[in-house]
Amino acid sequence: MAHSLEPRVAAYLTSKLPGATEVAIEGLERISGGASRETYRFRARWREGGDARERRMILRRDPPASLIETERRTEFAAYRAFHGSAVPVPEMLWLEEDPAHLDHPFFIAEELAGFQASPQMLLAGGYDAVLPRLAERKWTILGEIARADPEALGLTEVMEAPPLDGCWKRELDYWEGVFDRDQAEPLPIARAAIRWLRAHPPPPAQKLSVVHGDYRTGNFLYDQAGEIHGVLDWEMAHLGDPLEDLAWGFNPIWEFGRGLAGGLLPRERAIAIWARASGLNADPQALHWWILFNCVKGQAIWVGSAGAFIKGGNKAPIMIYPAWWLLNAQDRAILKVMGKL
Amino acid sequence: MTPEVPAVLAELAGLVARNAMPGVPEPERASDLGLTAMLLGLAAEVWDGAAARLVEENRALRTLLGETGADEDLHLSKLKAENDRLRTRLIEAQIAAEEAGDQARQDAIWAELRASTERRKISVSLV
Repeated sequence: MAHSLEPRVAAYLTSKLPGATEVAIEGLERISGGASRETYRFRARWREGGDARERRMILRRDPPASLIETERRTEFAAYRAFHGSAVPVPEMLWLEEDPAHLDHPFFIAEELAGFQASPQMLLAGGYDAVLPRLAERKWTILGEIARADPEALGLTEVMEAPPLDGCWKRELDYWEGVFDRDQAEPLPIARAAIRWLRAHPPPPAQKLSVVHGDYRTGNFLYDQAGEIHGVLDWEMAHLGDPLEDLAWGFNPIWEFGRGLAGGLLPRERAIAIWARASGLNADPQALHWWILFNCVKGQAIWVGSAGAFIKGGNKAPIMIYPAWWLLNAQDRAILKVMGKL
Repeated sequence: MTPEVPAVLAELAGLVARNAMPGVPEPERASDLGLTAMLLGLAAEVWDGAAARLVEENRALRTLLGETGADEDLHLSKLKAENDRLRTRLIEAQIAAEEAGDQARQDAIWAELRASTERRKISVSLV
């Protein structure tokens, strides 16, 4: 049975493809996961200039309430900025903010087909021989993101550029605000961590960088040779301290129980790869601040997920699972980073 | 666990019923039921010990905070409400200890917080 969105997507593409006729959408199906956006894949076929055309595409649509409140315009701009660069990303095709077309705002991108994203599959043993190569690519690409000039990429036009000594406060204020808004129960460990972070601020950022915001194993497409073909999930992209991005992957949650950064290799090795690619330094004390911050940020995301369910904005099971699976683990990660566990 | 187990089970019941109807796209049915199975597994894991954990923790918190009393109503919702009250007081006590520079008091509170994460630890915990 064809998905009910297919004729509506076909109508939209007809309006966006001048000269195209007989636009048809086939095989539209939702991809599991995606707690911050509904993600669908489909194949578009049309005729143009007498020729038959075909392209596989991805639709990312805003849900009623999200695990992460993000600005899709910013996400779209981040993808576009890096397309064709040393940071592999899918090509963005259309951004649509008028809900008249598909009930909620959305964007459409090319599909990078034939690759995997699952960290569970990656770390199950079948990819062990290529994990060193994949790790090298993972932190080299992150270094490229850190090295990039946000102004040259045009991103200072769509993203706020905080002062170098204000990056940490902007982020901490934002994520503490998520706790204030969404917490359904007292959170003594996270609140203690926030007090520590405010009492021990990091030094100013070395430079203002693009921060992906969710760069971890699971948010890129890989193949069996250990190559990375697309960095995904830019919905938390912003401008800030490049150490923030490096530290997000060092949240103990993302070790996947293997005691390795990203489940892939020792942290010091990851830092060395990133430093070589970015040309930046990872001061240990500053990096520690950002790792603890990212544990707090992670907890805010899981709390927000629970909050969306409790408030009734989004009752999907994908909103419950992160909260049940990760709230306590994230508390334990905070204790571990603070030297309390 | 948060959201509370009864509210989640009620939602999952509706979700399973909707997925039992014809016309649900197969990938969405598979995703919904797969996640539902994982959530039911977690609920099953914590259910037997939920009341005991809350009673144990509330007792430990009262001792730490110098309160007397005991849990008389063993409904999970009542135990959880009392737990929330006590953990709110624990945050206040921790702030007071930090401001007073009372390291022994801070250490005792951290010990309880560490114990609280052990009580809540699930079999698939990543940390």
